[in-house]
Amino acid sequence: MMEPRSDLELVQEVRNGRRQAFTELMRRYQQRVYWVARRIVGSHDEADDVVQEAFVKAYLALGDFRGDSSFFTWLYRIAVNLSLNAVRKRQVMNYLHESELLSRILPSSDDPGRDVEQQETESALERAVARLPEKQKAVFVMRYYDEMTYEEIGRVLKTSIGGLKANYFHALRKVQEYMRNENERGEESTHR
Amino acid sequence: MKMKEEKNPLTDEAERELVGELKNLAGEPAGQARRGPQDPYWANLIVRTNDRIDRATSPRALSISWAARVAIPGVVAIVSFLVALHYYVPGDVQTQASVTDVLRTLPVSSVDSLLVDPSRADPSLSVADVAPDVFVFSSDQIADYLSTHGSVRAAIDGLNDREPSDLLTALGSDDN
Repeated sequence: MMEPRSDLELVQEVRNGRRQAFTELMRRYQQRVYWVARRIVGSHDEADDVVQEAFVKAYLALGDFRGDSSFFTWLYRIAVNLSLNAVRKRQVMNYLHESELLSRILPSSDDPGRDVEQQETESALERAVARLPEKQKAVFVMRYYDEMTYEEIGRVLKTSIGGLKANYFHALRKVQEYMRNENERGEESTHR
Repeated sequence: MKMKEEKNPLTDEAERELVGELKNLAGEPAGQARRGPQDPYWANLIVRTNDRIDRATSPRALSISWAARVAIPGVVAIVSFLVALHYYVPGDVQTQASVTDVLRTLPVSSVDSLLVDPSRADPSLSVADVAPDVFVFSSDQIADYLSTHGSVRAAIDGLNDREPSDLLTALGSDDN
């Protein structure tokens, strides 16, 4: 049985003009890229767009990939940056199109762009994560869901480990507080 | 010690504790969310991404990309430079005043004196320093001058009738 080729071998093949090798890299990492994007942007549609954009960007910039970090870390960094950009763009759009109706529908949400239906179907944890500031959100997603080490996260976000720990600590506290409030609210409504 | 704790509030143990509590609250294991896309989505995602790569690497897309990144900013920069160069007006240039210009601002008399004898251009001198009788000399001064610089014969010839006898009296000598 043939041994699977390493990421670097595949990257080299792509550089040599074998496009199929890039498809192999996509197959390998599309789900992880999708989930990190999904958890940062908070919606499937946007995550879908971010994943495609991340792979296109990676393909076009493959010549600049020096191999200082692993291919996945490099790709992950592209995806996280694109996701954060998508969140920022949405915030700008929301700010510009903020309507009275929308603010009445979502009075307590920090992110009024997310529709009501989505709010109903997603878990409380996802809602809590959606409320985090972007940096804390990115760190939380990488650490809590992907269980990455601080060193790996540091390579992706180019931030010191001390800073990442502080971000993660604040994120955990905020999410925990939100979850407690949600649970209490749920218990109250059950008793009624 | 307290400072250090505040700077790094999350020890490994505290982190494990917080994450454990959170997992209990969330009631679900950390990992991928419950409602993920199904298998066909992933296969389709590869196809769509490949299409997007094709579009991004097509000659037309590359031309547009090149134009957007290089050509247009380059042309704008060159045009801006030329326009700026065309309308550039230098600020007030501080030129050094020439000696001639400075001299022209002085009174004619000062200029003359400077040109005749620059050593006399002492700023501490003033008109008050010049005595009104500066050109009035006593006879002794004239006699001294003539005895030093002129001939004795000329000095004696210049005496009037009475002055020779006065001179002799002063010298304690007789007429003969």
